[in-house]
Amino acid sequence: MATSSRYAFTWRLPMLIWQAAFFVVPLVFMAAISFWLVKNYRMEPDFILKNWSKMLGRGFFWDAYWITLWRASLAALVISLIAFPASYSLAYKVSESVRRWAVFFLIVPFFTSYLVRAYAWQVILAENGVVNAVLGQVGLGPFTMLNTGFGAMIGYLTLTLPLVIVLQTFSLSGVDRNQIEAAWNLGCSPLRTIVQVIVPSARVGLIIGAVFCFILTFGDFVSPFYLGGSKPPTLSILIIDTTKSGQQWPRAAVVALIMIATLFCTAFAAVSAAYRKRTR
Amino acid sequence: MSIATFASRLYLAAVFFFVFLPIGASVVFSFNSDRFPTLPLASFTFEWYAKAFSDDKIWDAFRNSVAVSLTAAAMSTFIGFSTAYTDFRYGFRFKAAYLALALLPPTIPLVIMGLAMLAWLSQIGLSGTLFGIIAAHTVLGSPFAMAVCRLRLHQMDPSLEAAAWNLGASEWATMRHVVLPFSAPALISAFCLTAAVSFDEFAVAWFVSGLNRTVPVAILEILQGNVDPQINAIGTVVFITSMTLVVIAQTIFMRRNRNG
Amino acid sequence: MSHQSAKNVSRRTLLKTAGASGVVLAAPMLNRAWAADPVEINMLAWYGHAEPDIVEEFEAQNNVKFVPKYYAGGDNMLALMAQSPPGTYDIILSDAEFVQQLNAAGYIQELDPADYPFDDFFPEFQKFPGHWIGDQLWSVMVRYGLLGVSFNTDVITHDEAMSYNVFWDSRLTGKVGHFDWHLPNLGQMSLLNGNDNPSPFDIDGAAWEAVQEKTLSLKPQVGGYFDYGGTFSSLKTGEMHAVCGIGDWITGVLQKDGAPVDSVIPEEGGIQWTESYSVGIGTEKGEIAKKFIQYMLSPAGQVRSIQMAAYPGLSPTKSGWAAIQEANPDEAKRSGLIEGAANDPIRLKREGRIHYRDIPRQQSLEDWNDFWSEYKNA
Repeated sequence: MATSSRYAFTWRLPMLIWQAAFFVVPLVFMAAISFWLVKNYRMEPDFILKNWSKMLGRGFFWDAYWITLWRASLAALVISLIAFPASYSLAYKVSESVRRWAVFFLIVPFFTSYLVRAYAWQVILAENGVVNAVLGQVGLGPFTMLNTGFGAMIGYLTLTLPLVIVLQTFSLSGVDRNQIEAAWNLGCSPLRTIVQVIVPSARVGLIIGAVFCFILTFGDFVSPFYLGGSKPPTLSILIIDTTKSGQQWPRAAVVALIMIATLFCTAFAAVSAAYRKRTR
Repeated sequence: MSIATFASRLYLAAVFFFVFLPIGASVVFSFNSDRFPTLPLASFTFEWYAKAFSDDKIWDAFRNSVAVSLTAAAMSTFIGFSTAYTDFRYGFRFKAAYLALALLPPTIPLVIMGLAMLAWLSQIGLSGTLFGIIAAHTVLGSPFAMAVCRLRLHQMDPSLEAAAWNLGASEWATMRHVVLPFSAPALISAFCLTAAVSFDEFAVAWFVSGLNRTVPVAILEILQGNVDPQINAIGTVVFITSMTLVVIAQTIFMRRNRNG
Repeated sequence: MSHQSAKNVSRRTLLKTAGASGVVLAAPMLNRAWAADPVEINMLAWYGHAEPDIVEEFEAQNNVKFVPKYYAGGDNMLALMAQSPPGTYDIILSDAEFVQQLNAAGYIQELDPADYPFDDFFPEFQKFPGHWIGDQLWSVMVRYGLLGVSFNTDVITHDEAMSYNVFWDSRLTGKVGHFDWHLPNLGQMSLLNGNDNPSPFDIDGAAWEAVQEKTLSLKPQVGGYFDYGGTFSSLKTGEMHAVCGIGDWITGVLQKDGAPVDSVIPEEGGIQWTESYSVGIGTEKGEIAKKFIQYMLSPAGQVRSIQMAAYPGLSPTKSGWAAIQEANPDEAKRSGLIEGAANDPIRLKREGRIHYRDIPRQQSLEDWNDFWSEYKNA
């Protein structure tokens, strides 16, 4: 039967129309207002470069940029490393049904309120919170954990660890068992097997996991604000501060566009690294 | 059990403990009378639930959230399914770009989505409306719905459709009697998942909502406001709601997959 | 037959299910329609102003319902106004120093002075700056409070807190919090630098440089920047031992909760925050908004405002003072609403130790705001 074009377009168009109207156009519009003028708390269409020069000329913007980039990179690395042993166990050391349930329980937190979990951490990590109360019993502490980089990292872990483990587990399960056994039979130590056989074979999944971790932490404002005490502020906090202060949306748009550019570059670089042919 | 196995089990247990600690803690705190809980816990109370449930604004927020998440889920599921079906059935020029557009939204930080949506919606006079939140949540949900539907369609024998056409069924009839029934579990799963995504989303909703707050926005406002343990009570209720949706999605998807 | 009836039953069940789910789906809309029975009044305000402890009596008496949008800081308020179509907000509670901006942008209506009990106001507040243009009235002050040094009494004594220099104390390293808004913080730094004549907000370029320098020197002491909720919980949980840019409006609430915290007005002087009601332009609910402002200025309204659960505020009216002395003598004593008391705010004002919080007079708001961002990132 010949494909009727009306039928084909019925299925093709909804996404195009919706994403155009409520995804592409808003982002393009945001790019446009980054050239607008703000006068007496009102935006006026214009074409000025002042917002860009003003934002890019500020030390605090670049401080925020580097701290955000640094934190997201650190989070991607640290969280990937923390996730790996767990993913390894789930992929190779447990039964199929345990794995399925474990993945299910790792997906669950993704659908619980991140805000509520951050608030719970606030209470748990506070100066006289749960952790310090437990440590106090054995004569340690109190430790300052809230309003520090450590606090923010706990928040990032909460946000991304389950997702990274799930992605890693999938990719590790996909590694050819025969390859691993061959390595074992040839007398490879477990560590060498992991480094030389498993990690290269599962490279795509491991990188995708790290990229998702990077994307999510790069744009998150809850952890750096509620657990990191805005000290120092990240780009997302800067966006919110900027929109709050006197309708400076054009400048917030500048920050947003630079964030998007950074994310795209990172994602593109990582994905091409992931799919690059192995040299050996 | 070898030491290595034991160590790996212990590590897994520690990871799961970490993941579920904040969720468990907020459930426990929701019944604890202390305003800023610590150990040892204070006395058991329903005070925070009573406070949350006696607040009109929380009920309004629940109503808004239910309306938004059901509508956004229905629309995300429809868009996700139609995109997945297009990908399954057709090859065309620019298909890679088409799919990239479909899957791109999760890579944009929510704060930026919120900013862009608010700027755009206030331009077209839709800011502060529930429709604005629904529009944004549909954008956020449809990639998830598409992924779920695509997985299911992947399991369908492509010759099944062709067979129906050969028997004289129109494309529309084939869709209705063959493809849709086969995809039903995925559609239900996608609906539940996208409803859960929408029900918990706060960043975009916070920017766009104006006076029509949803539950997560109400939580955010309490967190910015008087930091009251009713957050935990509301959070527990939301958790149970989302959990139920996810469990339904999961069991339907798993069972049908095994049977089908 | 039986086959037939089974079919009927199943169809009936189906219809019923469909109907039921339709009702479930429609419920939000229907409830909305029923709930629309009382008139909804949209209020833009700081957190807490439309909570039951303030509005429940007025809502019940007038069959209205307040729908609030809360903000933090005057800049934020103006941004929200600018984002909303005219007529969105019926009544606006703003910081006094932003009334002029609201007016200049054309967001608020002129009011009739005869509608409000200015005779009952303390003379200091009868013609509040920026609220009047000649004899035209644009906004009515309803409450105020004082900002000074807020601290944990287990760590710092009252005497030590009598100067802003205490923020640099070695015991407070990493324990000084900031309320995340430039005006009150930089105002206090300006006072510490001796800029009290005419106002810590009216300073020339050199003095502004000095304020920035002074502020940056505090950075090593700072433990975090907080919104209302964060300020509140970090002082309560002992995360912070002193907070800059706040006053009794935070510590007063925590004291009721039994926390060892207090606020004082240091030797260098304190800053007064002031909150005023305006009526939005384009609203159809101007009458009821006026009635609400009158209610808030009545002794009953003032007693609620003074004891507001979210944060306490002082009364600008003489009858408000009398009413709180009657209704809650302890609170009147605690907050100094007794003529001649040591912490009587009018006396402090007459001694010249209190300065209205203001927008910067010789720099732009943007300059101050930008510096604040810079400081946070320093």
